[in-house]
Amino acid sequence: MRMTPAVIFAGSVLILAAVVTIVVVLPFYHTNQTKPSEIFRSRTAAEKAGRRIYINNGCVYCHSQSIRTLDWGIGAERIAQAGDYVADRPILLGSQRTGPDLSQEGGEHPDDWHMAHFVNPRYTSPLSIMPAFEFLGKKKLENLTAYVQSLGFRAADKRVKRQEKWKQRAIAAYEQGPVKNVQWIHDHLPAPWRKLPNPYPTSDAGLARGHKVYQDFCMGCHGPIGDGMGPAQPYLYPPPLNFTILKDRGVSGGILYYQIMNGITGTAMPYFKKHLESEKIWEVGNYVAEYFINQSDADTDDGGIDAAYEP
Amino acid sequence: MTETETIKLSDYATAKGFCLTSAFWMMVATFMGLLGATELIAPDMTENIGGLIFGRVRPLHVNMVLFGFVTPGLLAATFYFFPRVLRTALYSEKLGVFTVLLWNIMLISAVATLLSGHSQGREYAELIWPVDLLVVAAFALVVFNFAMTVTRRTEPLIYVSIWYACAAAVLTMLTYCLGNVIWRPDGGALTGIPDAILLWFYGHNIFGLLLTPLSIGVAYYVVPKAVKAPLYSHTLSLLGFWALIVVYTHIGTHHLLQVPVPTWLKVVAITDSIAMVIPVMAFLINIWYTAKGRLGAIHADIGAKFVFTGTIMYFFVSIQGSMMALPQVQRVTHFNNWVVGHAHIGVLGFSGMIALGGLYYVLPRITGRPLFSRFLADFQYWMILIGVVGFTVVLTTVGLIQGNAWLNGETVYRVLPEIHLYYVIRAGLGLLIFSSALFGFYNIVRTIFTPAGEAK
Repeated sequence: MRMTPAVIFAGSVLILAAVVTIVVVLPFYHTNQTKPSEIFRSRTAAEKAGRRIYINNGCVYCHSQSIRTLDWGIGAERIAQAGDYVADRPILLGSQRTGPDLSQEGGEHPDDWHMAHFVNPRYTSPLSIMPAFEFLGKKKLENLTAYVQSLGFRAADKRVKRQEKWKQRAIAAYEQGPVKNVQWIHDHLPAPWRKLPNPYPTSDAGLARGHKVYQDFCMGCHGPIGDGMGPAQPYLYPPPLNFTILKDRGVSGGILYYQIMNGITGTAMPYFKKHLESEKIWEVGNYVAEYFINQSDADTDDGGIDAAYEP
Repeated sequence: MTETETIKLSDYATAKGFCLTSAFWMMVATFMGLLGATELIAPDMTENIGGLIFGRVRPLHVNMVLFGFVTPGLLAATFYFFPRVLRTALYSEKLGVFTVLLWNIMLISAVATLLSGHSQGREYAELIWPVDLLVVAAFALVVFNFAMTVTRRTEPLIYVSIWYACAAAVLTMLTYCLGNVIWRPDGGALTGIPDAILLWFYGHNIFGLLLTPLSIGVAYYVVPKAVKAPLYSHTLSLLGFWALIVVYTHIGTHHLLQVPVPTWLKVVAITDSIAMVIPVMAFLINIWYTAKGRLGAIHADIGAKFVFTGTIMYFFVSIQGSMMALPQVQRVTHFNNWVVGHAHIGVLGFSGMIALGGLYYVLPRITGRPLFSRFLADFQYWMILIGVVGFTVVLTTVGLIQGNAWLNGETVYRVLPEIHLYYVIRAGLGLLIFSSALFGFYNIVRTIFTPAGEAK
């Protein structure tokens, strides 16, 4: 084959044109009529402005918006569909997960949690390696929060409404003082959990493990001494619970476990059931009980068959 | 090889300009990589310095590596061998120097826009529309200069390096326009799933139609020259060239295997990703058989040593790439640092090594003097080789930890402390690469600008 300039230039351009037809143009006509999915809605002006901030600051390099069938984390309840993206220009699927996928982030947390988290992500999430975004200023952070709260569209709206509903009640309870506040929290727990003591014995090793979990997940809000004065506290309302005044208020191991597992919707307290397995939840609960509440019901119930590992 | 060494055809101003461009921006690019890597282990180090947050530093690192360091480095060697193998002067050195100038203006605009928070938010297509125009203009000038030089050649046969250089320039100019949706200045993107398909078509072609053909063109020039042997096979050259353009362009959708795009398109992407073995091995067999039995000559020339190492990296990155296109492999490797490791073998180990090899091969021939320091170039070679192998080991390990932890139900947040140590090592290796860029810049500047009084 004689390679002349015409063969090189025209040949390669013609091949490119043919390939573009196959892998860009045909798929375009295959996918550009995608119908919006059942959760889709259009974005508000604030959400659009927030999306621009998200793009310009490169959030997409660490956060995907692409839930797959094999995922477990936040948003894994709903596999992404083509119809979720019909208004996304550009589409922000992402190629890395240094942070969690945000497809369904809307309504996972209340707005004040996001504000504390944007000011410095380590305030709410001590292990985070996300940059601090306080430099953006309040207005931009509000828009960014609006965008993040819209991720998941109608499904997010439902979760955001739920956050707002419970936030009002949580604030009302908080403003009645610590006694009524704790009572309100207890009242919303299933009865068997309220009565359930921590079934496992306290041990130094267990407390050390609980301490580690506390540092990695809890300290940003509840503070290093459990008084609710962590660095996130100024941004949160109702503020994080002060554990040090809870002695003799009936905080059972079961209550601690349940709240850590499920969080308190409406407040900045997230659920940790995706992050922590059963043993870790019991142990951080017992750490809080022993060190901060100064009262633990660990291993007080002698019913049942002793577990094989008990001393 | 048909050129005559004794005929001096040009003052190589364009090649020199691209040498300096590449050497300078390699420092910027690798510094941005080091900065980003450090932010991942100490996120509050640059707290509230908006311009330096990770999300702006990372695209700057990537764009500076692609368009600041590697492409100009490869163009430097290309602008050197272009007139030589065609046995004519470059159509216009003035136009070439103007291209270098425009190229640097484009790079400065890219730094300014990305750090000030202006981005299209699409990987490899971050640069905003006015900067896009500069990129396209720069490529158009390169295409024009190449085409005009080819038509003025006195050598009737066109050598394989010229095919690759011409195809790389013209195809990148076209796919850059297409991938950046340049007809829509307000955002440069399509909407929804078609945007993802177009983006990865384009994104993969930055490697397939720009870095790879330019690198292969330089390797096809440097290796036969260095070992003083004719190219092993013209047929393999033809097969490799046409197969590269046909196959490489099909595979972008392998980035979207876990996304709701048409299944037939995924099948095309996976099939062609496997078929990449054809153009890759056609080139490698050709170049390795050319050098067979003559590795002493490769070892003797630091430029050829870089280039030949680059071809070995090309083997690894390509085989790995074909493997990574398999859906079962992607269950583990997608979304994590495995892919970052892959990118570093490809862009630093393969095309970056060849870009530096091209520079070091042509510099003494442009200036008519030996390199300022062969030792420094050799030292840089080892720093980069250790760095890129280190990146591969560390980032692949991190990728496996992340991928398997996620598959096992651990949250992304919880895996962060498990990979911290590896991120520290990665930043250390980044320091190694950045330091090597400083040595390289010093060496190249001292080679080009010799003290007054020394004869040219």
